[in-house]
Order: sequence, then C-alpha cells, then structure tokens
Amino acid sequence: MKNPLMKRIPKELASDWHKYLVIIVFMVVMIGVISGMYVGHDSMLEAIAAGREALRIEDGSFELSKKASSELLAAIESGQRADVRQYFIDEGLREADEEVAEAIEKELDETVRNRIERAVREQCRAYGITDENLITSRIEAAIEANYDDAIAQTRESEEYRKAADAAYEKAHEAVVEAVDEKWDEISDEYDLNDAFEAVPVTVWENFYRNESEDNNNDGEEDATIRLFRSDSPVNKASFLEGRAPENPGEIAIDRMHADNVGVAVGDTITVGGRPFEIVGLLSYVNYLTLHESNTDLMFDAFGFDVGMVTPEAFSVLPSRLHYNYAWFYAERPADKVSMADNAEYFLKALITQTLVNDSEIESFVPEYLRQASNFAPSDIDSDTAGTAIMCYILIAVIAFVFAITISNTIEKEANVIGTLRASGYTKRELVVHYMTMPVIVTLIGAVVGNALGYTAFRKVALDLYYNSYSMPACEPTFSREGFLKTTVIPLALMFLINLFVILKRLQLSPLRFLRRDLRKTRRSKARRLPAWSFLRRFRLRVILQNVSNYAVLIFGVIFIELMLCFAFGLPDSLTHYSKKAPDMMFAEYQYMLMGSKDEEGERITTSEPTAERFSSTSLKYAKKHNALFEGMGSGGDETVTVYGILDESAYIALPDALKTGEVFISTAFRNKFGLKEGDEILLHEEYANKSYTFTVRGVTEYDGGIAVFMKNDSFNEIFDRDEDAFNGFLSRKKLTDVEEKNIAVVITQKDITKVTNQLMHSMGQFFWIFKIAMVVLSAALIYLLAKIIIERNEQPISMAKILGFQNGEIASLYILPTAIVVTVFALISFVMGYFLMIWIFKVFMMQMDGYFAFYMTPASMVLSVVYLLVGYAFVSVIDFVRIKRIPMDEALKNIDV
Amino acid sequence: MAQSERQFLEIVDLKKSFGEGEARQDVLRGVDFTVEKGEVCVLLGPSGSGKSTLLNIIGGIDKQDSGYVAINGDKLEDMDEKQLTAYRRLHLGYVFQMYNLIPNLNVKENIEVGAYLSAQPLNVEEVLTTLGLQDHKYKYPNQLSGGQQQRVSIGRAVVKNPDILMCDEPTGALDYQTSKEILALIEDCNRKYGTTVIIVTHNEAISKMADHVIRLRDGVVRHNIINEAKMPASDLEW
Repeated sequence: MKNPLMKRIPKELASDWHKYLVIIVFMVVMIGVISGMYVGHDSMLEAIAAGREALRIEDGSFELSKKASSELLAAIESGQRADVRQYFIDEGLREADEEVAEAIEKELDETVRNRIERAVREQCRAYGITDENLITSRIEAAIEANYDDAIAQTRESEEYRKAADAAYEKAHEAVVEAVDEKWDEISDEYDLNDAFEAVPVTVWENFYRNESEDNNNDGEEDATIRLFRSDSPVNKASFLEGRAPENPGEIAIDRMHADNVGVAVGDTITVGGRPFEIVGLLSYVNYLTLHESNTDLMFDAFGFDVGMVTPEAFSVLPSRLHYNYAWFYAERPADKVSMADNAEYFLKALITQTLVNDSEIESFVPEYLRQASNFAPSDIDSDTAGTAIMCYILIAVIAFVFAITISNTIEKEANVIGTLRASGYTKRELVVHYMTMPVIVTLIGAVVGNALGYTAFRKVALDLYYNSYSMPACEPTFSREGFLKTTVIPLALMFLINLFVILKRLQLSPLRFLRRDLRKTRRSKARRLPAWSFLRRFRLRVILQNVSNYAVLIFGVIFIELMLCFAFGLPDSLTHYSKKAPDMMFAEYQYMLMGSKDEEGERITTSEPTAERFSSTSLKYAKKHNALFEGMGSGGDETVTVYGILDESAYIALPDALKTGEVFISTAFRNKFGLKEGDEILLHEEYANKSYTFTVRGVTEYDGGIAVFMKNDSFNEIFDRDEDAFNGFLSRKKLTDVEEKNIAVVITQKDITKVTNQLMHSMGQFFWIFKIAMVVLSAALIYLLAKIIIERNEQPISMAKILGFQNGEIASLYILPTAIVVTVFALISFVMGYFLMIWIFKVFMMQMDGYFAFYMTPASMVLSVVYLLVGYAFVSVIDFVRIKRIPMDEALKNIDV
Repeated sequence: MAQSERQFLEIVDLKKSFGEGEARQDVLRGVDFTVEKGEVCVLLGPSGSGKSTLLNIIGGIDKQDSGYVAINGDKLEDMDEKQLTAYRRLHLGYVFQMYNLIPNLNVKENIEVGAYLSAQPLNVEEVLTTLGLQDHKYKYPNQLSGGQQQRVSIGRAVVKNPDILMCDEPTGALDYQTSKEILALIEDCNRKYGTTVIIVTHNEAISKMADHVIRLRDGVVRHNIINEAKMPASDLEW
C-alpha cells in the first residue's frame, strides 16, 4: 500500500498554491537561468569547436614581408629547421667569390697591360724610337689589338689557374673560419641549440587588407575593416544572416560590428573608397572578439571590423596586401602543452626558413594564443561559473525557507505527529513525508527550469553572448555539466538542508510531540524584557518568537544586498575607471616600438619635442607569493610590465638614488598584492628559465596596470641590452614622423576606456535586468518568511480582533517588527555587502591580470538599500491584506495547547 | 484458555517519577496487574493518579523507572527504539482525547493512514460502515463534529487490527450522547475483532462496560476488579 500521507502533498500544494507558486517560479527562474547559461555556454562552445573543424580554422598564422616563393612554402611545410650554417657559409662564399673574382680580374688586367707595354717598349728600343708620345700611342694601339687574345692566353696559363685556385681556396677557408668563429653567437640568436622536433604543417594563403570603413558614407573613416577573399579555402566564415558576396560590389561584414554601428543587410557602406552593398552578416570563428592586433588590451567591436569580398573586388582594393599565411599541423596537438611545444618548434623552423629564403616575418600568432579566438570562450566560462555560485546561494536560501516552513508545520502538527509516532509510524517515514514537498518542488523547478533553459533562457544567454561577441550560429546541445549543476546540486542542497532541519525537529519522542513540548531546552521562566511600553514589548516578543525566520531573512537580505552592491557597483566601477583613465596614462601617447632601430639598422628618432624614450618588457609575478590569497585565484602568474625610464623623465619621476635592482611599483601592483617599501619581488621570464629579484623602493601613482619602474640604464643592464637601447616613446602629442611599420602598438586613453566602454555596452542591459530581478527576489523572500510569521500567529491575531484591536493596530504589532528587522539589516547588510564586494573583487582580480578596484557612488549606495525596501513595501501591503482576512473564529477553533 | 494466553499483558511493579529533589513527584509507585487477551480494561482514577502515564508506558512511548511491561512475555524494556516502534506498529492502536486527525486528509484517507501500518489491515470500507462514517468519508476533519472526528480517530486505530486498542480519555471532549455512541463503537470493535481494549478515564460510569476495572490513586492500584456485571455501553448513565 502506498503511504497515504503522500496524498497530503497535492492537497498541500493546492491549498497553499500561492506560496508554492512563488517558490516554484523562483526555482524555475533560477534553475532556468543557470541551465540556460550552461546550455548556451555548451551550445556556443560546441558551435565554436564544430566551427573550427567545419570552417577550417587554422592552427596559427604568420605574416611575411613579401609573398613567399613556392620553395619557401615547401620548406616551411616540411617543419624542418633550415641549415643556417650552410646558409651563412653560402652567403659568405658568394660574397668571397665576388670579391676574389674582382681581385683576380683586376690583377689579370694589370698583368696583361704591363706585359704588352713591356713588349712594345722593347720593340721601340730595338728600333731606336725614343719619343715617349709615340711610344705611348703604340702601347695603346698594341693593347687595343692584342688585349683580348692576351687575356685569353693568360687565363689558359697554368700559372694563372694555380693562382686563382689558391685565392679562392684561401677566401673559402676564411669564410668557413669566420662562420665557425661566430657560430655561438648565431646559435644563440636563432635558438639553434635548443630542443627541436620537426613539426610538418600545411600552409595556405590567407591574405588580407586593412581598409577604411565608412558606415554612413559621409567621407569620414568610422572603422578599420580587415577584408579576406570570399573564396578562401581556410578560415571560412559562419553566416548568421544573408550570404557570401558573389559580385564585386558586394560585401559581408561581422554581425556584431554591424549591430554596433547600426548597419544591416541591404545597406551600402564605403570600403577603401568604393561603395559595397552588405549582403551578409558573418562570424569568423577566429575573430569571436574583434581584436585588431593580438597585443590589443581589449577588443573593439566599434572601431574594428572583419569581412569578405569577392576575389575580383579584393584584387582592386587600394591598401597594402598583408601576406598572411595560415598553417595547419599535419598532426593536431592533443593538449595545450603540446600546442605550445609545436608552436615553439614551428616558429624556430619558420625563422630559419625565412632567413635562408630572404624573407621576413611580420607577425606570428599560434591559434591557442590568439586573443580574438580565445577571449570569448574563457569569458563565457567565468560568467557561467559565477552564475552557478549565485544560483546555489539562492537555492540554499530557498532550502532554508522551506526548512523553516516545514519546521513550522511540524510545530503545528505536533499532536498528529505524536499520534502517528505512537501508532507506529517510524521517524524515517515521517522524515520522508516532510522531505517530499521540497524535493518535489525542486524537481518541478529543475524540470521546468531545464525545459526553459533549453528554450527561452538559452536564448537569453545566447543573446547576452551575441550582444558581446561575434559568435557563430549554434544549435542547442545537452549540457552534462548543466544537468549536474541545475538538477543534481539544487536537489542535493535542498535535500541535505531540509534533511538536517527535519531530522533535528523529529528527534523528539512521540510523547513530547503529543504534549506539544517541542523545545529542546526548557526555559524555566519567560524572558524578561525591559520596561518598555506594552506595544514595544509585544513587538519584541514577535521578533523573539521568530528568531529562526529572521535569521534566514537576514541571510537573504545580506545576499540580496551583496547582489545589489554588485549590480550598482560594477557599472559605477567601470564609469569611475573610465573617468580616471586620463590619470592612468603616463602620457597622452605611449608608443611601443618594434625595436630601437628600423629595418636599415638606423636608430628610430622623432622630432616631436615632448617625446621621451623608454624601455619596457613583460615579466611574470607568481601569484602564490601572496600569502593572503594563497590557494585562491588561478595560482598562475601575473603579467608585470617592467619600464625603464630616463633620468629626469618628464612623465615618470624616479629618485636619482635608485640603484640597479631597486624599483618603484605601480599603485595597482601595491594594492593588488599588498606590497610595501622594502619588499623583495621575484619576477621571471615567461618562456625562459630566468628570474630577477627587485627591491621595492617606492610607489608610482599609476592604476592602469601592474607595473614596475626602474632607471633605463638599470633596465638595459639587467636585460642585457645595448647601453642606449629603448623600445618606446612617451609623448604628449601624436608622433607623425615614426613609420607605422616600426610601431608595435600605440596606447592612448581610448585604449584604456575601450575596455570599460565595451563592458558597459555588453552588460548595460544585463545590470538593469539584474537590479529588477534582485527587487523581485527580495520581495519573494520576504513574502515567504513574513507569511510564516503571520501564519504562526493566526490565532493570536484572531484573538486580538475579538478583543477589539483594529487591523491597523494588529498590523503594527506583526508587520512593524519585520519592517524594523528588514530596514536595520538592509543597512547593516549594505555595509557588509559593500565590503564583501570589495573583497570579492580583490579575490576575483587575483584570477585575472591587472587590477580594478570596486567603487560605488553615494547615490548607488542609497539606491541599493532603497530597492530592497521597495520590494519589502510590496510585501507589507500583502501582509496587511492577509491580516485583515484572518477570521475571528480562528481563535475559537478547538486547539490543544 | 491457557494461563500464558490469558495473561496477555503483564504490568509488574511499575514505578515512575518526574522531577528531581524537592520537586520530585512519584507518579507510579509500584503498579502490578495483568490484562487478558480480548478483555475491556478500564483504568480509572482522578487527575494526577498516573493513569495516562501508565498508558504511555504500556504504549512504549514513555519509559518506567523500574518494573516492567510485557506483552505476550516480551518485555518492552528490552526493546530498542526501533523495536518499540515496530511493537506499536504491529500491536497497538491509539485513540486520544483530542482526535489528532490530519487536517488536509479526508475521513477515508485518515483511516488509511492507520491501515498503511498493518500487514493485515481491516477493510477500510467496512470500518467506515461500522463507524457510521460512510456518508462522511470524503469530508475533511474540520467539516465534522467532535464525535464524528473521534469516530475517525477510532477508525484509524482499529483499521490496523491491533492486539490492543489504547484509549486515553476518548470521550473527554464529547457530550453525553456522543460519548455513549463512541464507547459503543469501542465495544463493537472489541466484540467484532476481539481487540483487547484499555480505556483510561476519570468517568466512573465507563467502568461498568469493562471486563476488568483497575482503580488508581496516588500512583498505586487501589482496586483490581473483574466486573461480573458488565453493562452494554448504550446502557451507561452518568
């Protein structure tokens, strides 16, 4: 026989439907959102992974200074390192041969001329001719007549051949000797002594042009568009709308960029000075975020675009052709370590092959390091993890709400429980019975939530991604992790929390239940209250009676306030960061150069008077070195920019007494890792086994990044550079006389605000929805807990009515305590939430590179409390109606107390 | 009838006190009696005489300080919590002064709550008919009168087909007429199903329907009488 107690469940659901509806809606939304995030996340990652295969996304790309010959391509594809020694010897021999040949020719010429002159003079002497003019003219005539024959005759002579061979041999020996003498230097330069394995690849042309894009055809450049050919067999695009261009006047551009700048299929834009009709909106899977360069701090979906045109249109566009080549490994590396190894080996092969084939590498980016490909997937991962944690906290809150409701029911049904236990019902049967409802509600939440997660909420999540990134089209996919996190974990949380509370409640003997003696410890006397007015004491009694309810309420309020602090504080922090951006620049322009010399080996200079040379490099700081956050964060390394600054710099002041090995650190570095003057910091190279210890001597006011500053001389000494080497300029004005090809990147204020602007654009709408969701959530939570408080007191409320209390007075007795608790704890929670947020931000930053402090405006601080109280105001209206509806005969019901 | 079968329930030198020191109160001070299978036994006594405590100890929901209770020779004190639950599940039916029905189960379902516990429950429909609850079987407890609720409570207890029906002041909250009807039902169950019945009451009149009357005062058995002039419940007057 099925346990008849189970029949109570549907009745309970029906009779208290509004309460369960609130809980179920709450669970459905929470589980739906998290499920949607996971399904969206998995669908998207699968679409990206599938896209990489189907659209033939490269394993990496490199750009050469000129089109590669077929011999060079074949050599690169072999994956083998070129024979650099032979190359240098060949080059040396070629030069030596030229020199020797020239010397021999010169010698031959002189010898023949002298020989003819001697013969003519002898002849003249024999004939008695002494007139020097006559002799000279005869010599010239003889040279004219006999030079070629004499040269030919000399060349055939044994003596000549011997001399020439000896000269060549000597020169050749000298060349080999010179190469071998310099071999160590050459080996170091090309890493020829390092471990190497040939990594065969196939290489495809993937040429592009960076053209100007004018979206509104007003003659002003709005963005830079990187154009590829529509017939490219590799790095193909996924179309979200429309099609690929088929005629020379057609173009397909990035969907995200089109959305941002407000152009659509059918519109005409000007690219490279020519009109093009947009026929398709696409996503390149290796441009999920529109990073123009791999060294860009942030992607820029407004100022940068990617697209394709037909080969005909591509061939006539005006800007420089970039000889970009995509490579594919013959054997795909299985993991990140082998990806890194392969890329390293391949780079070595590429460097040597381009060297011996008289070409130069302009850029080299393995796919696994490409920002444009990898930024979005890793960002999606962290979003999903964050949402899941939020979901668990809320489910735990709901589980406690349930536990309190059940605890209250157990109290109410004590006699029945006592009778059932006395009749032979086991504790287990009753636990199962009381556990059923939360489990069923969670199951309903999980089933409906997951159903929505795979449909509506998946769309919400995808919209969020599509709003931020240039994602390809995707199909829903089953998310195993999503199932675990949206079904198994909520069920487990609900189960364990309720099991714990119910077991604790049902531990008492049947007799105690029959006697309604449910308190664990019996208070011998009623709690004495201060000599307040009757009404104040009454309210305090209500609070004391409902301490557990209020405990959950307070927990919920803290959580909601924390979330509100997040929802208000993150946009505030971003805006604050943007506003502070001018202070985060050492100079209006920071030029990072490819080196201190140009292609011709000439030192790069500028006539701009405000320009100042500096040096910089990137090192790593091990995060685990900070004890406070040990075990937290990624445990990985922080990227630290090391600057070498000139003495008496106009931009960054360093004391003259700063010695080699002593540094100043940026405020961001100090704040992130809690460093102080006198501390030693250990920085290491990312790819080489080399580390440096520096002593912190002071702090430079700079929040723009994790940075270390030292004198330029010390920099060059420590990093073994030439005495006056540098690789950048700081300048108040734009440098017009430094060639583009010598500039690696220019950092301006726009680059710093680009990050925050892009984030605000991607997340602005999300914050608004999030704030509303928090108000609804706080209202729902307060509603559930306030309901318990009133239900618990239905009989006293009814009795108060019989005694003549008015509804308003009763409300002030039963609603006011909750109002006081909510208000007081909203304020306390705000303070806690605010400081917790600062801490969470700090911990979060430990997992990221850079530093970004949490900030809230005073208006946001006030609003974050007001929002919660607005939610509560709605609930108190409902509570008042609820009190009004309690009938007077409730007090007259037969109760056994 | 063999002696062991007749001495179905044995209560031997049962002692129980509450509180400590000066506040110590001896509720049972050495209670001895036996109950035979199938008899109606009334435990009579004024308030505070220890009769409810005695019933709770017999029911295995309270523990004595000394002495023992044995059913069919099995001592309750030797049983652990699990065995005691099984004992109550298999052998006992409980009827309380307050009916303690489950408010959101209807009459029939409340009776099924008892039937679920038994390996050989009585037919629920038959119990409903016996108790005159057929017309009310789909009503909720709050739609019933006190007497009807107590009928349901009896139904829940007897449907298990228990060896002993324990009734703690079953008519305490009922009027005269309804009380007589309820007592008649208990009597019917005893007759029809052979259930041993122990009724705790302070109502002298109820003792007249008993086979066996035990009068308690100040925690000791004052009288232990076999009632030769048993009266039908319907004839009781008070």
